[in-house]
Amino acid sequence: MMYKEINFILNGENVNLQVSPDEILLEVLREKLGVKSPKCGCNKGDCGTCTVILNGKTVRSCLVLAIEVDNQEIVTLEGLMGNGLTPLQESFLKNNSFQCGFCAPGIILSATELLGRNSKPEKKEIQEAIAGNLCRCSGYSPIIDAIIDLTN
Amino acid sequence: MEVSKYVGKSTVRIDGKVKISGAAKFVDDLDFGADLLFAAVVESKYAHAIINSIDTSEAEKFPGVVKVVTGKEFPFRFGLYMHDRYIFAQDRVRFVGEQIAAVIARTPDAAKKAAQLVNVSYTELPNVLNVQDALKNDTFLIHPELGNYQHVPWFFPKPETNISHLRKVRKGDTNKAFKEADFVFEDTYTVPRYAHCAIEVHGTIGLFDNSERLTVWTASQSPYTQRHLFAEALAPLGLTHKDVRVITPFVGGGFGGKAGVSMEIIGAALATTVKGRPVKVLWTRAQEFYNTYQRQGLTCRIKVGVNKDGGIIAMDNTLYWDAGAYVEYGANVVNAAGLSASGPYNIPNVKIDSYCVYTNLPPGGPYRGFGYSEFLFGLESHMNEIAKNLNIDPVEFRRKNAIREGDILNYGGKMNPNGLIEAIDKVAEAIEWGKKEYSDDPNKAIGKGIALFWKAPAMPPNASSSAFLKFNEDASLNIMISGMEIGQGLLTVMAQIAADVLSVSPDKIRVETPDTDRNPYEWQTVASHVTWSCGRAVERAAIDAREQIFDLIERALDKDRTSLYLENECVKSRKEPGFSLPLRDFIINGIMKEDGTFRGGPVIGRGMFMPEFSSALSDPETSQGGKPNVHYTVGASAVKIEVDRQTGKMRIPKAVLAIDVGRALNPNLIKGQITGGLLQGIATVLYEDMRFDEKGKLLNASFSDYKIPTALDIPDEIISIIIETPQPDGPSGARGMGEHTMIPAAPMIANAVEDALGIRIKSMPITAEKIALTMVKEKKIDLINI
Amino acid sequence: MSEIQLDYAKPKLLNEALDIISKSINPYILAGGTDLIDMIKEGLVQPDMIIDLKGIEQFHQLSFKNDALFIGAGVTFSELIESKIIKEHFPVISELSRTVASLGIRNRATLVGNICSAVPCMDSGPLLVAYDALIMTVGPKGERSVPAEKWFIGSRKTAIEKGEIVIGISISSPGKHGSCFVKLGRYEGEDLAQVNLIILALKNYIFKVSFGSVAPVPVRAKKIEQLINGKVITTSLIEEACKLIEKEISPITDIRATKEYRMHMAKIMFERGLNAAVSRLNGSGPEYGKNLL
Ligand code: FES
Ligand code: FES
Repeated sequence: MMYKEINFILNGENVNLQVSPDEILLEVLREKLGVKSPKCGCNKGDCGTCTVILNGKTVRSCLVLAIEVDNQEIVTLEGLMGNGLTPLQESFLKNNSFQCGFCAPGIILSATELLGRNSKPEKKEIQEAIAGNLCRCSGYSPIIDAIIDLTN
Repeated sequence: MEVSKYVGKSTVRIDGKVKISGAAKFVDDLDFGADLLFAAVVESKYAHAIINSIDTSEAEKFPGVVKVVTGKEFPFRFGLYMHDRYIFAQDRVRFVGEQIAAVIARTPDAAKKAAQLVNVSYTELPNVLNVQDALKNDTFLIHPELGNYQHVPWFFPKPETNISHLRKVRKGDTNKAFKEADFVFEDTYTVPRYAHCAIEVHGTIGLFDNSERLTVWTASQSPYTQRHLFAEALAPLGLTHKDVRVITPFVGGGFGGKAGVSMEIIGAALATTVKGRPVKVLWTRAQEFYNTYQRQGLTCRIKVGVNKDGGIIAMDNTLYWDAGAYVEYGANVVNAAGLSASGPYNIPNVKIDSYCVYTNLPPGGPYRGFGYSEFLFGLESHMNEIAKNLNIDPVEFRRKNAIREGDILNYGGKMNPNGLIEAIDKVAEAIEWGKKEYSDDPNKAIGKGIALFWKAPAMPPNASSSAFLKFNEDASLNIMISGMEIGQGLLTVMAQIAADVLSVSPDKIRVETPDTDRNPYEWQTVASHVTWSCGRAVERAAIDAREQIFDLIERALDKDRTSLYLENECVKSRKEPGFSLPLRDFIINGIMKEDGTFRGGPVIGRGMFMPEFSSALSDPETSQGGKPNVHYTVGASAVKIEVDRQTGKMRIPKAVLAIDVGRALNPNLIKGQITGGLLQGIATVLYEDMRFDEKGKLLNASFSDYKIPTALDIPDEIISIIIETPQPDGPSGARGMGEHTMIPAAPMIANAVEDALGIRIKSMPITAEKIALTMVKEKKIDLINI
Repeated sequence: MSEIQLDYAKPKLLNEALDIISKSINPYILAGGTDLIDMIKEGLVQPDMIIDLKGIEQFHQLSFKNDALFIGAGVTFSELIESKIIKEHFPVISELSRTVASLGIRNRATLVGNICSAVPCMDSGPLLVAYDALIMTVGPKGERSVPAEKWFIGSRKTAIEKGEIVIGISISSPGKHGSCFVKLGRYEGEDLAQVNLIILALKNYIFKVSFGSVAPVPVRAKKIEQLINGKVITTSLIEEACKLIEKEISPITDIRATKEYRMHMAKIMFERGLNAAVSRLNGSGPEYGKNLL
């Protein structure tokens, strides 16, 4: 396998890495860079647990080649928390929004993207924004409520 | 009794921050260093076949492969309640996807590719894919050696058949009662198989180190059961319990799917073949669907005798469970459901036959609800039909027949205190029962449905919990239990319980996830029993610590022991208002006497709970005699749906669930269970189900085609109603409620569909398609052109 | 087993891309990657070269000039949803795009990628067919523009030729029109269409109707168009049209739905979609994006 060098910004830091063209971003983040908040719930784009923010937009890192992010910028949950929990996370905490928490990193990123676009989303917009992030535990309402709480 | 300061409050989860910050580590997040190996399994292509030979030579040559392991190396049977399975298939495979061999390699990719090079030669046998076929006289036996299998005393297998267990209940005289009944109603209802779909897949890492100690990291609800089964299954290799250690970090959802032992045994066994190197087995999402426990399918034939006034006098319920290829756990679902399949009703004459039937489909097993969701679909649908036929309001009918405290249960015991009637009334009120509503959209109809539910923990009579509790210098504390946090909020509630006893606020309490070397015994985190059982253990551990504190104060400071109490992390005395000694001043380092010597030392509490009143011994022909169930949690649920007559599509404007939790230790977490459980239940009735082809292969082993609800698929409003009729033996009166929230969903929706459209659908799921095509078939809609 | 050496290139110029393609044995184009990467993982394709088109600026073009809409091959569904041009001139494209998968996919997946994969349940196929869109390609033999109806040849088969790249889609505006996209899924969350349908209502009651997921390729329902063109929509006309649906489409039974339900729903979707498109033409009707099912 041939390796290529890539440079990208991960959570504000420059990363320089050798990857082969078929390496998947999710695996590179988790296995080569030790960034474990993106999870692998399905490995085929169906569950959203692998969500990361690529140039300001959420993507499924299980469907992104690592080599594609050369010269791009990636933010994961680890990178959101410069000074402790964000207000969104505080709201999730207060609302006991998550149960097992496996879906939390992905949902927090999706909600963060939404709030970046629209600081006062309607319930329906919130539902649409996180519809790609499956959660089997919560029934979603405690998650949606926390986002609404925050924007009020 | 002192008023509780922490119990009963909607405390923020003590594990909230670790999960929300991404700091929580799940099993696949753990690092094992550069010598970590990866395993991929070779799976059966056939639902039923003899294995003639396994050729591993090509796979062994594949670059990166360390070892190929087959069933030859582990020729032992094992299982939880019945020893009917193997680590790897021996001479026979019994479902598509069954593990036959494994390739251990340096990379996941090499393992996967090499696994494809293992050549298995099979002779196909006839497939037995449903209970009807499995029960035919001339059927093919899936387990010809059933008669030799070791099992718990409360199972009754029928050798030379595919019936691995039959639970019979006989109460009163049903024959006579049916003759006397004014009306008899009989019907058949069917429920397909379902998948748990925890978002985290199963994974395990085993390490058999050079000192021959086996450590297994798992995503599990049952670390101790796993340790026990690993030790038992691998005993021929010389392992004993002390040599086996199971560590379970946070778990990304369980729902029963991570109870017992499923694929984890593979990791444990493989580790013993590559001594000194950790080996990881991680299921893919597809394997998650076809090679872990599935919720069993059910066909139930129910017959009910009633009097004109609406009193139920007899029930005959025959349950045929499609239990799959191995029933070591699933047979207990059949057993538990069999004991309770009359539902929360007071019926004097009951006959139940609950058949656990082997089929060539993946193994059935525990799933949130443990059989109750399945039989309640038929039972609660049927109750509505009876009420309708008798021209009695379905709520009134249920109210009249609902079980009450002291009523005689199917196995002879008495029903525990409960608020079922209150639940029915509150739910009816919240859903505005009796008020007919109409949609603004002429294509749509509004319907309401109700269902009652009950469920008891299904556990061996000696299932127990234990807890250690240790103080730190600053009077914060760590509690060690092996009850598993699987999302339900166990850690928080345990902290609340200890907090009340010790006057230390829950945010100063850390509750550790299990490591069987450090944390004491817990049977399993299943059956909605840990709040109750582990809660009692923690309570006792806290009391133990408190008593040690009082002992010390009495001994070192000469205080009257009986007047001591704890408040705000201080020891105080009712007799001496001025006395207040902070725990942190002595809890580790003791109390200094005048001569400079110390009394005391680190305070460590221990607690244990076993329901000593429970017994599984009873007459196999009638189930009379024992006390298999420690208590029932009951409730009622109702729903309002708006359904499109033409498309069958449905919206749920409102769902209500009332449950008697004994005592709400943390109301917000209970609400969380209701919200999540209801949605999981609603999905089973509206769109989920597992589909197999005629060769027994699962067709929808992915989220693309096994649809679980998204944030767009939730009811508009959920009303949670908490009822508190204390459970005398529960911590602060609490009883379990986690599973219960999903079990009434299917029948209440079926009943609402009937109310809205006048059609009775007797098979799950009730998809939009099924509704629309039934409407067409029954000519209930006048459609363009049809 | 011979391992194929995989290479990756991200050219900045179209010619560069064509050049790389011509030199590769089994090149695959990567735009959103949501389909391709899954296929690579599953071992369904084994490219020796992946050409990432995201570096070519013109592929990101989304413009409306001289009454023609151009959607570059790199334009994502999210960009389509957010675009003012789309909202103003082709709101149905946004209505459709909002039903495609979920946000994290729409942020990467492209409409062109959708019609290049050309799975029968794709959402974009019927859209292009109804609008008589042109698929613009460039390859060794130069540029081509292929009418949408000729583009789809079979399940996962298109008229693309060896060495070609799709540059984008061109759609001429049919003038002021009402439109409606209706999609049948198993629930509200993302799903692959069991039936989808687009209806355009142009002035003078001229209609364009196209179904998807009911045949290997999108179906342009010409018989229905002929029947209803120029007529005032009445219940009996719809009934007559529904009879024709049975002739126009040939749904199959699969894990997602039976052919009976697909047929049944196709009729209901047609009725509701037609009414919505007509009322939207007249300035009323349901908001774009409202689910009619
Ligand atoms: S792991 Fe990427 S979407 Fe599921
Ligand atoms: S909290 Fe468990 S999956 Fe969302």
